[in-house]
Amino acid sequence: MARRYDSRTTIFSPEGRLYQIEYAMEAISHAGTVLGVLAKDGVVLAAEKKITGKLLDLSIVKEGGYGGSGEKIFLVNNNVICGVAGITADANSLVNYARSAAQRHLFSYNEDIPVEQLTQILCDLKQGYTQYGGLRPFGVSLLYAGYDPHYKFQLYHSDPSGNYSGWKATCIGANNGTAQSLLKQEYKDEITVEEAVALVIKVMSKTMDSTTLGSEKLEFATLTLDAATQAPKAKIYRPAEVDALLEKHGIAKKDDESEMKP
Amino acid sequence: MSRSYDRALTVFSPDGHLFQVEYALEAVRKGTCAVGVRGKDVVVLGVEKKSVLQLQDPRTVRKVAMLDDHICLAFAGLTADGRVLIDKARVECQSHRLTVEDPVSVEYITRHIAGIQQRYTQSGGVRPFGISTLIIGFDPQDTRPRLYMTEPSGIYSAWKANAIGRSSKTVREFLEKNHKDDMTRDETIKLTIKSLLEVVQTGAKNIEISVMEGFNKVTSLDLAQIEGIVADIEREKEAEAERKRSRLAATADIQAAMAAGSSSAP
Amino acid sequence: MECSFAITGKDYVLVASDTNAARSIIKMKSDEDKTKILSPHLVMTYSGEPGDTVQFAEYVERNIRLQHIRNIHELRPSSSAAWIRRSLADSLRSRHPYSVNLLLGGYDAATDTPKLYWIDYLGTLAEVPFAAHGYGSYFALSLLDRYHNPEASLEEGVATLKRCISEVQKRLVVNLETFKVRVVDKDGVREIEL
Repeated sequence: MARRYDSRTTIFSPEGRLYQIEYAMEAISHAGTVLGVLAKDGVVLAAEKKITGKLLDLSIVKEGGYGGSGEKIFLVNNNVICGVAGITADANSLVNYARSAAQRHLFSYNEDIPVEQLTQILCDLKQGYTQYGGLRPFGVSLLYAGYDPHYKFQLYHSDPSGNYSGWKATCIGANNGTAQSLLKQEYKDEITVEEAVALVIKVMSKTMDSTTLGSEKLEFATLTLDAATQAPKAKIYRPAEVDALLEKHGIAKKDDESEMKP
Repeated sequence: MSRSYDRALTVFSPDGHLFQVEYALEAVRKGTCAVGVRGKDVVVLGVEKKSVLQLQDPRTVRKVAMLDDHICLAFAGLTADGRVLIDKARVECQSHRLTVEDPVSVEYITRHIAGIQQRYTQSGGVRPFGISTLIIGFDPQDTRPRLYMTEPSGIYSAWKANAIGRSSKTVREFLEKNHKDDMTRDETIKLTIKSLLEVVQTGAKNIEISVMEGFNKVTSLDLAQIEGIVADIEREKEAEAERKRSRLAATADIQAAMAAGSSSAP
Repeated sequence: MECSFAITGKDYVLVASDTNAARSIIKMKSDEDKTKILSPHLVMTYSGEPGDTVQFAEYVERNIRLQHIRNIHELRPSSSAAWIRRSLADSLRSRHPYSVNLLLGGYDAATDTPKLYWIDYLGTLAEVPFAAHGYGSYFALSLLDRYHNPEASLEEGVATLKRCISEVQKRLVVNLETFKVRVVDKDGVREIEL
């Protein structure tokens, strides 16, 4: 009997619940952690990558592109980066949709899309997938880090149901409870990007199983304002830069334990 | 299985129920409580606000939405569904102004929203909206306040006062007992808060109040104002309880005296 | 024979439009408001094919209002101008293009600057310190070259605007008796009596 309400999508259970959404959220809670911290002069995102195999070739991401390995953190628009947790294939299609939406806005209004508006557009799509027949919800939560002139730096979180909310610091994916309470303890208003970077690395190193981190397991990005032009500047760290950053904060992998160094 | 995609998800059961609609109402009953109360020339919306988490941005947690300059909506149920329905209503408000120049009347937009909700109970492959709404506002060139409610089934109705969402039954019963016609602004606000306090244990910080006093005149009360009114209500309750206690004590005294009198007088 | 002007000042934009509604050689009406307040900090004058103008202005008005109510904050003047230009450019390439010329004055609350845009029916968009549409531009632009001061106070701006209007009234063959003038600044849009 119970199966009647959770095998098909988009259908209410007798208690008024939508099981498919709840299951989708369950899927996300096993995914790699994504962490976001809002600072007064920028936003910081970090994400844990799940390595699928030792022979995975990560060298191609080292040249070209806009940095990052394109697995967890994406550049959506000049002023928005996002981190995804959940089913990667769903995430790719959502990121693609977000990028198109951002460009459509630029085309119509000749301005970078306001961050909340972009979040809303994605959430409307996600909501649609929970209401229309024959579709399953997106198994993805996202963190959006962005800047616009209306509300300056912002950090949003959206989940498979199509809900979203703004945060000063938040976390999605595996171990998000631990990370969340760590953030609650450590976060201070008026934090700077420098401090936020340190905070993110600290929380990441505690939530990820290993004590030492390396670029093969971590993606990292910041969004700040360019000092000269005052335009938003997204920086998605290249693997070498991630390693350098971790080195600086003293939790980098020692060379002898590194198995994946080229 | 593939057959089910192009078929309505909401179908009659052999005993004549539309289960999906009834279950959607369950989703509404899980949502936060919202109350609407009509006064003489004011109408008030009160909503129970979930506590904002420490690191959350309170700006993004919105329960009451403006549809147009003169219409305000609160909903209970699935937040994402609410956002989508609100957006459809907002488009209709402007579209109506573009076609006939006049702003929508409250009934018109209510009927429109209810119509959308109804469509989602009958069309192929969609589930109903998991929300009920309370819509307040004023018609153009009119001073009478309006209050409507819509439900997932697409039913809409006008009310003097009503509640939706969690424990709405308790609140509705409270309103039925305490609502008077032609209340002043302050009385209306007070009744709204009082009725919300029936379900909101945590007091002022989890209550949001929007007051509409005429075409285009909407204000939302800030925390201090709500706290003030909550304090007033508590004082009144205290005084009432005190009176009750002293009355009880007095009757007890009389009874005791009578008992003593009857026993001592042979 | 329609005529509209707009000038920016230190922290405001003035827009003015004549109030004649004419058909062929006949004046039908002399108190037609050919401006539209699009949002609290945005005002637009429109001229061109009668009918088209009102239709397009109302369409713009409702869309800008929808943007405002959806996103809580107003659409910025630069974005509004881009959207309006896009609408006109799309319309031009449709079967029935709108023939409308616009001046768009706004105040950008995000950067605290006054903004003025000149838009024509071909979908041209230019951000300018002062602007005019119609025959009035033949007289006013040279005047404004000479007298416009981007740092001018509101009184000074109104005086410059009056110069333009009186020049038109003096030299143009048709008589444009009255102008509707609106100013937009950080407090919003309001009407000014000349």
